[in-house]
Amino acid sequence: MLQALADASFGAVVLQSGDWGFVFENADYLLEGTLTTVLLTVASVLLGFLVGFPAGVVEVYGGRVLRAIVGTAGVVLRGTPILVIFFFGYFVFRFGGAFETAIVGLGLRSAAYQSQIFRGSIQSVSEGQMEGARSVGMSKLEAIRWVVVPQALRRSIPGFQNEMTIVLKDTSIAYAIGVAELLTLSRELFIQETTAVMEVFLFASAIYFVLTFTTNRGLDYLGQYYGIPTEESV
Amino acid sequence: MSETATRSRTGIFRSLSPGQVVTAAAGILFWGWLAVRLLNDWGVVDAGAAPDEPFVDPAGLPEWIPEWVAFAVEFLPQMASGVYLTVVLTVAGITFGFVLAVPLSIARVYGTTSSYLSLAFTELIRGTPLLVQLFVLYYGIGLTSFLGGLPGVGQGWVPDEAVWVAIVGFTINSAAYQAEYIRSALISVEESQLTAARAIGLSKLDGIRYVVLPQGLRYAIPGWTNELVYLIKYSSLAAFITVPELFHQAQDISSNNFRYTAVFTLAGVLYLALVISAAKLMETVERRTSIPGVGRIKGRQ
Amino acid sequence: MNPLLRLDSVYKSYGDEEVLRGVSLDMEVGDVEVVVGPSGSGKSTLLRCVNRLTEIDDGDIYLDGDRVTAPDTDVNELRRDVGMVFQDFNLFAHKTALGNVTLGLRRVRGMGKVEAREKAMEHLDQVGLGDQADSYPAELSGGQKQRVGIARALAMDPKLILFDEPTSALDPELIGEVTEVMRDLASGGMTMLVVTHEMTFAREAASTMTFLDQGEIVERGPPEQLFDRSERKRTREFLSRITARHGDAQP
Repeated sequence: MLQALADASFGAVVLQSGDWGFVFENADYLLEGTLTTVLLTVASVLLGFLVGFPAGVVEVYGGRVLRAIVGTAGVVLRGTPILVIFFFGYFVFRFGGAFETAIVGLGLRSAAYQSQIFRGSIQSVSEGQMEGARSVGMSKLEAIRWVVVPQALRRSIPGFQNEMTIVLKDTSIAYAIGVAELLTLSRELFIQETTAVMEVFLFASAIYFVLTFTTNRGLDYLGQYYGIPTEESV
Repeated sequence: MSETATRSRTGIFRSLSPGQVVTAAAGILFWGWLAVRLLNDWGVVDAGAAPDEPFVDPAGLPEWIPEWVAFAVEFLPQMASGVYLTVVLTVAGITFGFVLAVPLSIARVYGTTSSYLSLAFTELIRGTPLLVQLFVLYYGIGLTSFLGGLPGVGQGWVPDEAVWVAIVGFTINSAAYQAEYIRSALISVEESQLTAARAIGLSKLDGIRYVVLPQGLRYAIPGWTNELVYLIKYSSLAAFITVPELFHQAQDISSNNFRYTAVFTLAGVLYLALVISAAKLMETVERRTSIPGVGRIKGRQ
Repeated sequence: MNPLLRLDSVYKSYGDEEVLRGVSLDMEVGDVEVVVGPSGSGKSTLLRCVNRLTEIDDGDIYLDGDRVTAPDTDVNELRRDVGMVFQDFNLFAHKTALGNVTLGLRRVRGMGKVEAREKAMEHLDQVGLGDQADSYPAELSGGQKQRVGIARALAMDPKLILFDEPTSALDPELIGEVTEVMRDLASGGMTMLVVTHEMTFAREAASTMTFLDQGEIVERGPPEQLFDRSERKRTREFLSRITARHGDAQP
C-alpha cells in the first residue's frame, strides 16, 4: 500500500524541464498531426453535411419506404461505436487507406447525427410557413427550397456547433486504424521518450482544447451573424 | 401520480404494437442470454455449458443457418464477458459521474467562485478527447501503478487496475457532460420556485434539494439518455488501455482468425442491443417519473 | 404590549431608484391591513422586506418584539412565522396539492409523514380543496392554485401572512373563490398584510387601509375613511381610478 503510494507520487513528478524541451523540439511533428486532425474534421463534417442534410429532409418530407430506410441507417450508425465503424471500413469494406476510412466513417456517422439536427430544425419551422409559401403559389418543393430550408439552416447552427466539436474530438479515435493525426503522433513521441508522457499529452490536450474552443467561438459568431431576429420582423 | 402510474401499468399489455412486441422479445432474449451466460460462467448456476463453450454446438446447427452465424456462435461466450465489462464501465461511469455532476452543476448555477471552478473543469474536460484523457490517466499520472498496488485489485471478483483507471476516466468525463445537462435543466426551473421554497422557511440548499433538483432532474432525462448511449459506445475506447471489454474481445478474436465481417457484425449487434435497451429504459424512466407540467412529456414545449 | 408587526422608517432603493422612503406602520394581532397604490409604488417590496426576501437599506422591522432586520436573525426561522402568498402562485410544480402543503411541514417543521399529511388535509379542507389533494398544479385552475398557495402558507401556523396581489393573475370569474377564502381567514382572526386591487375585499375585510405612493404612505386609516371621506387628492384620484377599472367597491 505504502509502496503503491510512493510509486504514485514518483509517477506524478514527471513534469521536468527537459521533457518540455523534448516536446517543443518536436512541436513541428505535432503540428503536422494537428493539420491532419483539422483536415479530417473538415472533410468529415462536410461529408456529414452532404449526406445528412438530404437525409434530414427525407425524414421530414419523404415517403414511407424512404423514411424507413434513412431512419434505420441512422439508428445503426448512431448506435454503433465509431471504433466499430472504423474497423468495418478498414477490415471489411476496404475501400481505401486509413485516412479515407476515417473520413468516410466519421462522415457517415456525423451524417446520421446531422440528419437529426436538420430534421428537428425543419420541424420547428412552423407549418404556417409552409402554408404561407403554398398560398403565394409555390410548389411543395419550392416552398421547402426557398422558405423552410433557409430558416431551418439558421436554426441548426447550435446543434451543428456541438456536432462539429464531437467530430473534432473523435478524430483522435482514428488512432485505432493508424491515421497520423495528433493523438497518434503524440503517442509515438511518448513511446520514444517515456518520461515525457505528461508533457506530450498535456501539449496535445492544449491543442485539442484550442481547436474546440476556436470552433465554438467561431460558430457562435456565425450564429449571431446569421441568426434570425426574433422580436422585430426582418 | 398514483393514478397515472396505475394507468400505464395496466396499459402496457393492451397498447403494444407488433413492432414493440418484437423489440420486447429481442430484449428479453438478449438480456436473458447474457444473464444465464454470465451466471453459468461464474459458476452461480449450471446452465449446462463449460465457461468457454457456447450453449449450442456450432457444428450441430441445421444446414440452412449461414456459416458465419455458426461461426459467431462459437465466440458468443467470449463476447459475453466483454459485454459484461462494457456494462460495468457504463453503469459505473454514469453513476459516479452523476454523483460528481450534481454538486458541479449546483456550483455552476448558484455558486460564485465555485461557479468558475466548475466552468473551468467542465470546459477543459469537454474540450479534449476522451481517449487523450484515458491515456493521461493510464500512462501519465501514476494512477495505474497506484491502483495496481492496492490489495485485492485484479484478484477474484475484483477487476484489474486498467478497469479501475477506465472507471475513473469515464467518471470524470461523464461528470463534465452530465453537469452541463443538469445545469441547463436547473436554469429551466423558474426562479420563483426557489423563492417560494425560501418563503416557507427552507434554507437555500434545502430549497435546491427539495424543490429545484426534483424538477430539474426530470428536465435532464433526455440528456441522460444521450449520455448513457454515449458511454456505452465510448466505453469501447477502454480497449486501448487494455480493458478486455466488448470491442477488445472482438479485436482479439478477429486478429486470430481474420473473420472481420462476422466478428464485427456480432460486436455491432451487441452494441446496438445495449444502446436500444438503454434508450427504452430511459423512455420508461421518463414515463414513470413524469408529472403533469414538469419535464418533456405533456410539459412545456 | 408590543405590536405584532412594526415597520420603523424603512428605506429601500434599487440603484438610484428609491422604492421605499421611510415607511412606518404598526399591526396588532388579528389586523387585516390592505395596502393599495399604483404599480411601482413599492407595495410588493414592502411585503418582501417583512420576510426578508428583500433586504432593506435603513430602518427597522420588528415581529412580535424581535428585530427581524438584525444581522443575526435566522431568516429561515423568521419565514416559518411569516407566510407568503404569491401573485403567480409559485406552487412547487413537481408536488401535488397535498405535497405542496406537506413539504414545509416535513422539511422545515420536521413533522412525520402521517402527521404532516393530516395537518395538510385539514388546511386543504379549509380552503375547500380536500378533493383535489392528489392533483398537480398543472391540473388545477388558477383559483384552485391560489387556494393551495394559501393552504401552504396556513399550514406553517404563521403569526402573519403576506398576500402579494393574490388575485392579479386570475381570470375575473375565479377571483371570488380566492377572496372568499381570504375573508374567512380574516374573520377567523388571522393577521394579514395584503397588497391587492380588490377594492370590495378591502372595504369589507380590511381593518386598516394604507395608500402607498412613490414609496411613501400617503394616507392610512379605516377603509371607510379612505373610500368615503379622504381629504387627500391623491388618494381620491387613485381610488376612483382603481374602482372604475376593477369594479365598484360600494357594498
